Amino acid sequence: MEAALADTVDLRVWDVPVRAMHWLLVIGIGVCWWSGVNNELEYHTYSGYVVLWIVLMRLYWGLVGSSTARFVNFVRGPKAVLDYAATLHRRDTPHAHGHNALGAISIVVMLGLVLTVVCLGLFAVDVDGLYSGPMSIYVSFKQGRHIAHSHYYWFNILLWMIGLHLAAVIFYLVYKRQNLVVPMISGKRQHRGEAGHAEMKIAPLWRFVIGAILVSAIVYAVSVGFYF
Amino acid sequence: MSALSFRRVSAAVLVVYGFTVLEAAAGPAEIAQIKPRQDKLRDMGGALKAITDEIKKGRLDWDNTILPNAQTIKDRSAYLLNWFPKGSGPETGKKTYALPAIWQKNDDFVKLGKAAQAEAVKLNDIALKKDEAGLKAQAIATGKACKACHDSYRSPDYEKENEE
Repeated sequence: MEAALADTVDLRVWDVPVRAMHWLLVIGIGVCWWSGVNNELEYHTYSGYVVLWIVLMRLYWGLVGSSTARFVNFVRGPKAVLDYAATLHRRDTPHAHGHNALGAISIVVMLGLVLTVVCLGLFAVDVDGLYSGPMSIYVSFKQGRHIAHSHYYWFNILLWMIGLHLAAVIFYLVYKRQNLVVPMISGKRQHRGEAGHAEMKIAPLWRFVIGAILVSAIVYAVSVGFYF
Repeated sequence: MSALSFRRVSAAVLVVYGFTVLEAAAGPAEIAQIKPRQDKLRDMGGALKAITDEIKKGRLDWDNTILPNAQTIKDRSAYLLNWFPKGSGPETGKKTYALPAIWQKNDDFVKLGKAAQAEAVKLNDIALKKDEAGLKAQAIATGKACKACHDSYRSPDYEKENEE
């Protein structure tokens, strides 16, 4: 037992921005879903801006953030994905450091879907012509109503994707005995001596601040429909 | 009459009787309301959007946009309650967002309809006065009067395919 414990060390895997953005996105999408279904469109608009801000920040962080957040480090080609998928049924496979090859697809698809749904929402028009998206000034009432229905359609697809994501997390927990939720909270995971797992390289805070200022400016401009 | 043809004839009678009953519930006049009703309500929604768009842009074109659209909402809303005769709901079998509650709780529906008419008149008055300070608040009040009815008496927007 002691020997086994001596082998395990905590390895940092997710930095603070990645964890914060993940859980804020969960809350943000939850608020959007609730306010949308209950036709609380004023809150829906504001929560939509928050979700847009988080997704744009996550895309920015995927370019300049910490090593495990960067797309170049986790988005893999088809061969790597197939190789990984072929070992999915095995329980003895090593724990991937950061996103695994298959999970990377799900991350990219989910981010893309959230961005799609938010962008459709920006142009969507409600039935009253009252709480329309800020960019709906560029479309007619009828076009905006069509976009509102696409907004629902793609949100449903996003929900299925989120369902798949949750199913995968449960699969890893139950079948592979790998808890992926705790590291997304603590930022650390237990390292059992797998080879080739370098410690995460943490990006400096100033980079996050610069991104936050840029992204806030973009979201503000969008929220006023580029009318200043 | 053989047993087989008796069955056929009685089946045919039943089908014709079934159609007659359906017709009685939703006659052609009621069915004919649905499409024009949707068109007129869509015009009103579009008119309010035109006004809220101007407010969002911070550029109010009173004579070309605010006034004519406020007038559209006021004029159309005056006839609003005529567009929902009994039998023009989902029982027509046509695609409509109108809920049966319109006729089940008709007193409340009529009350909300009249409240919307009152807000539309106020909006038109403000447009005539070119009252910039009052316009935003009254556009919201008018939209909320539309929404009050839609929240209770219209199917949730996401539940159906887009209306044509």
